[in-house]
Amino acid sequence: MSALIVENLVAGYGDARVLHGVDLNVGQGEICAILGPNGAGKTTLLRALSGMVKARGTVRLGGTSLAGRSPDAVARLGVAHVPEGRGTFMPLTVEENLRLGAFVRRGKKDVDADLARIHTYFPVLKTRLKQAAGSLSGGEQQMLAIGRALMSRPRVLLLDEPSLGLAPLVTRELFRIVQAVNEEERTTVVVVEQNAHLALGIAQQAHVLETGRIVLSGTAAQIRADEQVAQSYLGYRV
Amino acid sequence: MAGFLQQVVEGLGAGAIYASMALALVLIYQFTGIVNFAQGELAMFSTYIAWQCVAAGLPFWAALALTLVVSFAGGMLVERLIIRPVEGAPELTIVIVTVGLFIFVNAAAGWIWTFLIKDFPNPFPQGALQLGGISVGFSTVGVLGVVALVMVLLYLLFQHTRIGLGMRAVATNPSSARLVGIRVGWTLALGWGLAATVGAVSGVLIAPLLFLEPNMMGGVLIYAFAAATLGGFDSPAGAVVGGVIVGVAETLAGAYVGFIGSDLKIGVPLMIILGVLLLRPQGLFGRAVVERA
Repeated sequence: MSALIVENLVAGYGDARVLHGVDLNVGQGEICAILGPNGAGKTTLLRALSGMVKARGTVRLGGTSLAGRSPDAVARLGVAHVPEGRGTFMPLTVEENLRLGAFVRRGKKDVDADLARIHTYFPVLKTRLKQAAGSLSGGEQQMLAIGRALMSRPRVLLLDEPSLGLAPLVTRELFRIVQAVNEEERTTVVVVEQNAHLALGIAQQAHVLETGRIVLSGTAAQIRADEQVAQSYLGYRV
Repeated sequence: MAGFLQQVVEGLGAGAIYASMALALVLIYQFTGIVNFAQGELAMFSTYIAWQCVAAGLPFWAALALTLVVSFAGGMLVERLIIRPVEGAPELTIVIVTVGLFIFVNAAAGWIWTFLIKDFPNPFPQGALQLGGISVGFSTVGVLGVVALVMVLLYLLFQHTRIGLGMRAVATNPSSARLVGIRVGWTLALGWGLAATVGAVSGVLIAPLLFLEPNMMGGVLIYAFAAATLGGFDSPAGAVVGGVIVGVAETLAGAYVGFIGSDLKIGVPLMIILGVLLLRPQGLFGRAVVERA
């Protein structure tokens, strides 16, 4: 069953078109990696999915069309977008940031239970609950951003370059947690990443995006095995 | 000494009113980054509504309640109809729009109620408390009490309710607020409604001390600007502290600095604005948050 279906998605900024017809089909509970060089349109793709940039084409979440909806409406339908730059509410406390993730949900008890659940994924956040989120390190803020997204109990989680600016050790930890979340909650994940090696390590399917078009699709194993891809996009020899 | 304390008490009463007006300015600035030059005129218009209700025979407190509700709705309407179309426009455009709103509301009030001054009923009893040689008017006590109540209610709203949390989220990071599902447009309108309500309270409090006329808030707005600048335009607590300091400074300067007297009092807030902008532009409590990238 597909969680997210994208057909012929065209998007851009003003007159500058960035995506020229992208197709995706992400299965329920799958992790889908979007790879590609700088400027390929990876961030724009996620923004088009969550309604942050205007797009034409089909975007379906389960049976619901997301095309043309505003970002807040898309969020209420169950798409949690962790944006580039993490979207932290800097002066607010860590706990307030997490609770904002659950803003659209009712039921204080469930939200409290989820807060405890987030703490088991990210123990470091638990020790910082009353601290201003702006005082966290980059890695902690990325964890907070993912934790905030999970608080909405999303059907689809969109992650934009979670590794950006983080130390390798922190990045690996982060991907391990994303994988754990995916396995335990069956959350569908679309992750955009420059660090192809890490992303392919947790994804089932992968797509390579180049100048706004998907130039290669396959299972993570296939993409990893493709020597040409490895050289042109992933930056290493197999 | 008693004379000095007496002046301080007078200053506190005036300062509380400046504080509530400054709070209205800061509320809108926090959400939208807009300095609303029409805030005083909206408060004046609200005060006329209260006056009209009293003139129509409503008891004062019922008139006030009705005024606050109408002001809230009016503030939201102004945001939706007048500010929304210029959202994201250059600052100068928005300044011009709020100045235009200032002139429009001022003229509308004059057209509806004429420019003749009206007597506004004082909700608080005549007379004064005697506290060790200092006399504190019931009206001063009442003003301080009402403003304190407004502060407490706003604090509870922002710190302890879901809507308040959403409003703070919009104030700090609107695009991220959208991504967690908050309707940012309506939240901004809510901020304007809230500011108009707080402004209405200060208008109703100050009208018995001045006279009710369309230009009554002009001076008050300058004091409120001084208070918000001093406290920091992004700090509601700062607006309150700033308001109180401006009120006390104005009264003391008028009483003890010979050449100022009551004629040059209006120079005090202007000096404060100038001084703050020169020495500490973010104000006393303005945010200079240290953030790690």
